[in-house]
Amino acid sequence: MSQEHIDQAISREYAAGFVSAIESDTLPPGLDEDVIRFISARKNEPDWLLEWRLEAYRGWQQMTEPKWAHVHYPPIDLNEVSYYSSPKSMQDGPKSLDEVDPELLAMYEKLGIPLHEQEMLAGVAVDAVFDSVSVATTFRGKLAEAGVIFCPISEAVHSHPELVRKYIGSVVPRRDNYYAALNSAVFSDGSFVYIPKGVRCPMELSTYFRINEAKTGQFERTLIIAEEGSHVSYLEGCTAPMRDENQLHAAVVELVALDGAQIKYSTVQNWYPGDAQGKGGIYNFVTKRGVAHRDAKISWTQVETGSAVTWKYPSCILRGDNSVGEFYSVALTNNFQQADTGTKMIHLGKNTRSTIISKGISAGQSSNAYRGLVRMSPKATGARNYTQCDSLLIGDRCAAHTFPYIESRNPSAVVEHEATTSKVSDDQLYLCQQRGLDAEKAVSMIVNGFCKEVFKELPMEFAVEAGKLLEVSLEGSVG
Amino acid sequence: MSDFMRQSLDSAATSAPPWLQDYLRAGRARWESASLPTRKTEQWKYTGLQALQPSYAPAADGAIVLADAGVELPRFGGYRMVFVNGHYSPEHSDAQLPVGVSLVRFANADTSQAARIRSYLGTVVGQDQALFTALNDAALADGVFLDIAPGAVIEQPLHVVWLSGNQAEAFSINQRLLVLCGESSSASLIEHFTGARSEQQSFTNGVTELLLEAGATLCHYRLQLEEAEALHIGRVHARLGADATLNSFHLALGSVLKRVDVVVDHSGQGAHCELNGVYLPRGEEHVDYHTCIEHRVPHCTSSEVFRGIIGDAATAVFNGRIHIHRDAQKTKAELSNRNLLTSTRAEVNTKPELEIYADDVQCAHGATVAQLDEMSLHYLRTRGVARAEAQVMLSFGFINEVIDTVRCEALRDYLRVLLTRRFARDPALVGSVS
Repeated sequence: MSQEHIDQAISREYAAGFVSAIESDTLPPGLDEDVIRFISARKNEPDWLLEWRLEAYRGWQQMTEPKWAHVHYPPIDLNEVSYYSSPKSMQDGPKSLDEVDPELLAMYEKLGIPLHEQEMLAGVAVDAVFDSVSVATTFRGKLAEAGVIFCPISEAVHSHPELVRKYIGSVVPRRDNYYAALNSAVFSDGSFVYIPKGVRCPMELSTYFRINEAKTGQFERTLIIAEEGSHVSYLEGCTAPMRDENQLHAAVVELVALDGAQIKYSTVQNWYPGDAQGKGGIYNFVTKRGVAHRDAKISWTQVETGSAVTWKYPSCILRGDNSVGEFYSVALTNNFQQADTGTKMIHLGKNTRSTIISKGISAGQSSNAYRGLVRMSPKATGARNYTQCDSLLIGDRCAAHTFPYIESRNPSAVVEHEATTSKVSDDQLYLCQQRGLDAEKAVSMIVNGFCKEVFKELPMEFAVEAGKLLEVSLEGSVG
Repeated sequence: MSDFMRQSLDSAATSAPPWLQDYLRAGRARWESASLPTRKTEQWKYTGLQALQPSYAPAADGAIVLADAGVELPRFGGYRMVFVNGHYSPEHSDAQLPVGVSLVRFANADTSQAARIRSYLGTVVGQDQALFTALNDAALADGVFLDIAPGAVIEQPLHVVWLSGNQAEAFSINQRLLVLCGESSSASLIEHFTGARSEQQSFTNGVTELLLEAGATLCHYRLQLEEAEALHIGRVHARLGADATLNSFHLALGSVLKRVDVVVDHSGQGAHCELNGVYLPRGEEHVDYHTCIEHRVPHCTSSEVFRGIIGDAATAVFNGRIHIHRDAQKTKAELSNRNLLTSTRAEVNTKPELEIYADDVQCAHGATVAQLDEMSLHYLRTRGVARAEAQVMLSFGFINEVIDTVRCEALRDYLRVLLTRRFARDPALVGSVS
């Protein structure tokens, strides 16, 4: 591989890095109780929610930023962040897609999400969150027929207050951690999904997040409730424009899988990672957690290629007997990106099972860490965990780490953890090249094979996208 | 922090030889400026220090009659050196050491010996943040320097016994060993910790520094056989020169608190280390092994296997870190940690860690926690072996694979008998599976 190839890859532009010229209504930077009151008032929220936010804010004020993750970044001044930004034309609230700002729609098209119902390819219903507000939710009608509620959480607060009030904060408590508390105080929007008892959601649900405005933070909150015996598959995708300063994204996702329910949550995270010198990019500090009741199943699949700094541990609390948790992850870091990601599997019920498959790829001068916890509580009789963490190193300036915590207090529980680290083997490369593939194609093929176990968990069209994303991020990083 | 151990530190400061005084002062400054770790300290997340008494008296420099104390010391065919409460006991030690080995007590060192000790002391373990190393430095009235001459090949094992003797009140022992293996030398060292009476309330704070120069080979075995009320916080820190080989084995029976940090620094190319261990806490005992393999230079290899059987309401902690520094290319490192829980109240917390900053390396680690395999038990029972006996056999087999890595035959035989007795006598360790 020549230096030319490397330079070519480094100079490759972040494809989603355009800024849309949309006039927006942005709150000046800074955080105090008035900002929270403003957000709450703007959304016309009931009093209980404002109180809930303020309580979270007061808790947050007493907390300190966590320092344990294996990532380094200059201190974040949270008073320089704007906590609310909405496209101006949204203020009256679009009643239907026809009322949506055409420039917004054009932007989504540029990103390749077909927002318009008629343009939908495979029946993916999209709730697009632009900066802080939900822009449009497609396929509402069809979902409503099945009894599925899929709407922005700000809307659900009004249309289904009993559900929101019952479940919000039930999985990730307000004071769970520094960023979750911050999110609870200032969250602006996000998706709300409710699947009634016994219903198999007729299509994949999807949210698309984008940070557009400069100096804004995005604090979305997603709540998915799957009633007994129901089934849902949910996808999220993320991008942000290229900017020199770092932007903060602190989201909270809560999943509730009641008896026998299944939730599959897939993420393709492609926030702006910063440039080749490590300047700019998104700080992605996310709390994702699900509770699985009896016989329920929660499956997290993530492909993480973006963000300057990632701090994310989608977790499963396996509360009910026979519940199942899964975590499939591909995390790729290049240039100066840093990722500290993994999962927690908390086994509380009998015969609970969990599988963790994590594939980390580090290139350039990046750092990629897997951090996981498997906890077998004294009551988790017959529980089972299998963990496999593999790291692939590309280039001699990158780093790969593994920090798996295993805590077992039940003799009948079985925990297995395996991890390996290696580089793309010269033999494999040689074999491919001998068969006429150039080095880049060969590496791409080997890396795709390395990630196969995870990609096969993604819905078809996302698997294709993820494969491409990886290829783009990797090309030329092999020397 | 200020009062804890003050008495011991003051008495150490008055009795230490003059050439060590500045070293003690530096250690004391570090100790006094630090604070005791809490559960929020990552390195002490699973090990609390509640078992530490508010104060400890200094250990008495008393003679001991082994038979009276109920201590029977095995012979491994080599040379035995016995230290009672950290003080050398000539009556129980072999007078004659083999050619090429010299043993110097810090307190007796002449000027040239003192200079030599001073030039090596603390260079391996470093002046890092390790709190109890600072305490050891601060209380360093006496220590042992084992000097193996370059090229010396010592066939028989050097058996160093650290015996905690009798004392009425809770007391502390400051154990310090500095071993220098000269170029191309070869030796075996058995560090053997044992207590005179099981209900002793002793606190041993030990530091062992192993310095292997180029091409040296050392087999280091550390047996921590103190039980019950004996509290032990120990650190073994080895530095390997080019092409040096360390073969290390650790065994810990449980006690109220045992915490051992093992650090192996590969600082010369071609160095190799094998680090193996077994821990067997039961009752309400606690054993904590923190190991760290540092690969600083290219072309080194390491392999690590630790296994534990945790019974009753005991807890075990294992943290195995492999750290590959930038440019330490062509490193091969592997680690395996397997645990058997034999009771519903037993607990294990394990964390194998990899931290890698070089790309052309092969690293792997694995950890498992489970109970004895039902299928294997069933198989043995179909062959007419009683369940309890089958459990003993399987537990012993689980440990025996690690015992097999011990190269000293006499020691291997001793350990097999010791462990078989322990398993057979103690159905609680293996018996509550059913």
